[in-house]
Amino acid sequence: MRLEHAIKPESSMSTLLWLRFRAFSAPIFLLTVWLLLIIATAIYRPDFISYQTLLAVVFTMSIVGVLAIGQALVTISGGFLDLSQPSCLIFASFVSVKLSEAGMPFIIVILGAIITGVIVGAINALIIVLARLNPIIVTLATNFIGLAVLFLLFRAAEVPIGSEIHTFGRAYFLGLPATWWPMLILIFIVGLLIHQTRYGRQTIAVGGNLYAAQTRGISLKKTRFLIFSIAGGFVGFAAILFCSASGPFNSDSANILQLNVIAAVILAGISLEGGRGHLWMLFLSVGLLSTVPTSLVFFGLSSDAQAIFQGLILILAVTFDGYRSRKVTL
Amino acid sequence: MTKFIKTFVFSVVGIFLISSSANAFKLGMAVGGHACCEWMKSQGDVARAIAEKKGWDYFELSNEGDSATSVKNAQLFVQEGVDAVIQFNGEPGTNAAIQQILGAAGIPVVTYDIAEEGMYFVGIDNLGAGIAGGEGLGKLVKEKWNCEPDLVVSAEGAGAGIVNTWRTGGMRTGLGNICPDIPAEKYKSFESNGDAAAGLAPARDLLAANPDAVRIAVVGLNDGGVLALVNAAEQLGRADEVMAWGQDGAFITGDNVNPRLVGSVFYFLEGYAVYAIRDVIDGIAAGNPPPVKWEAGDPASQVKPCPATAAEAQLVPVEAERVKQLLAAPIGTTAYDLFCAN
Repeated sequence: MRLEHAIKPESSMSTLLWLRFRAFSAPIFLLTVWLLLIIATAIYRPDFISYQTLLAVVFTMSIVGVLAIGQALVTISGGFLDLSQPSCLIFASFVSVKLSEAGMPFIIVILGAIITGVIVGAINALIIVLARLNPIIVTLATNFIGLAVLFLLFRAAEVPIGSEIHTFGRAYFLGLPATWWPMLILIFIVGLLIHQTRYGRQTIAVGGNLYAAQTRGISLKKTRFLIFSIAGGFVGFAAILFCSASGPFNSDSANILQLNVIAAVILAGISLEGGRGHLWMLFLSVGLLSTVPTSLVFFGLSSDAQAIFQGLILILAVTFDGYRSRKVTL
Repeated sequence: MTKFIKTFVFSVVGIFLISSSANAFKLGMAVGGHACCEWMKSQGDVARAIAEKKGWDYFELSNEGDSATSVKNAQLFVQEGVDAVIQFNGEPGTNAAIQQILGAAGIPVVTYDIAEEGMYFVGIDNLGAGIAGGEGLGKLVKEKWNCEPDLVVSAEGAGAGIVNTWRTGGMRTGLGNICPDIPAEKYKSFESNGDAAAGLAPARDLLAANPDAVRIAVVGLNDGGVLALVNAAEQLGRADEVMAWGQDGAFITGDNVNPRLVGSVFYFLEGYAVYAIRDVIDGIAAGNPPPVKWEAGDPASQVKPCPATAAEAQLVPVEAERVKQLLAAPIGTTAYDLFCAN
């Protein structure tokens, strides 16, 4: 709130309304852009509004959405970014394939993938916490190491055709892909927990002001360890969605997702500086970013053009994030 | 006296071993190093095994799918003093620089699949292989759909450069040879990156933009690329009448083959060293190098492609087994001789 408004009683109602609007400005902005994109594409190609388009978009949302939850938790806790998601995803996918090939029940495959993700996240956390290193550098390094190890382990892997996990990747529930519903539920639950539970608020506090949090007795080490491990668990779950549908994959197959996930987190208003953001916004940002490439295909643009647009969106998102950060500190 | 004799004998043996080693032919190999493909590693395994059988020294490096690394490797080969180099360079923009480095050192180079002036070309006729694959698919499209598909989708892999143009474009040409009346507007493309997982989302988008297409023929750079479209169609509930024909045979052997992958073109890439060594390196090692044939149309050694339907492909062992059988066969036996039914 600006100081001049604070000292002008006759402005209090308009100030209140303005503050209320500002609180919702980010989701309103995202929703508006998303709708405008849909409308513009539908005007150019009326068949854009179809069940097939909806399916294409929500399938894309599934994996990116779950990865974005893990990324958002790291970012909101002040860990900046987790750049090890590609190798973690492939590790967990490889474990899923091996468990499926061994004939394990689907629930065991899911647990195996999640535990793999948690272990990778915990390794990141241990290095960050014990060596007190920058999380970006550590996760970048572990990603490189992970990809190299994966390259030694295998060249291509695929879940058995006809297995439970393979069927899951092609199944539907209430007319929408089965892989989409877990993303929706997780965004809702985690978005609720992060603000409504003590541990969630501690996570935000650590990201918002580390020294103040420590003064209040919140352990940075413990928080960071748990957050990175939990984030890894989300990547492990995303691996189930990934390998259930992708067909043969290799150690490099997940690299392409990294930029979209980071863009989704920033667009959702989760500040790279930490301590601020609502995970529910991920639904809008992931939705928008998943609609852009589909829309561009309807406009007749090539894949190269899609990459340009996605890069531009990322630049805009980071610029907007920086602008909001400066506004908050003024 | 005894001590003197022992020292003399050991010295003579040592000198003999060192001079033998110095005289042994040394073969250098730069494998592609891309994460995608087992055959890149296997190319090195086969070359090493043949070199060992011949009593040659062998020195292997990985290009790591990276331009700068491939040039650095050329310098390392010079430092290592190899007598000849075999390479697979998936980033062919650096081939001229590599040829300059190795040529200045007098080291002859065999290059796989992508021609470069001054290097011995050993490889497939990618365009011919693509046409053969396209004609294979065309026969099925004619038989099942009377040459009236709703869509012909190309799974491109632009990163492969001219090889993508030959293979994927060749498949379209081959399909057109059998079914010449398919309208141009039915031909669509998406960027698969030659990878089933990476190409999945673009494939879904393409299918969404063509919601009425039911009979879909798929061609592409490789098996992985075409499978991206197949998996996307399965997700969207539209795979009932999808027929895909791939290339490289990576995902059409074994017991986990997608039933919509109706054929592929085997290159038996893992066995290229048989051709390279038999037709080029042996001559160089014997002090009688063959003339440098660097053009794909007039190669130093031509690798034969093997188009195969899914049923024929079931008779072909998986790659690891192929490598074993190839190395157990007499030197000079090619994978085509062993495994191609056509």
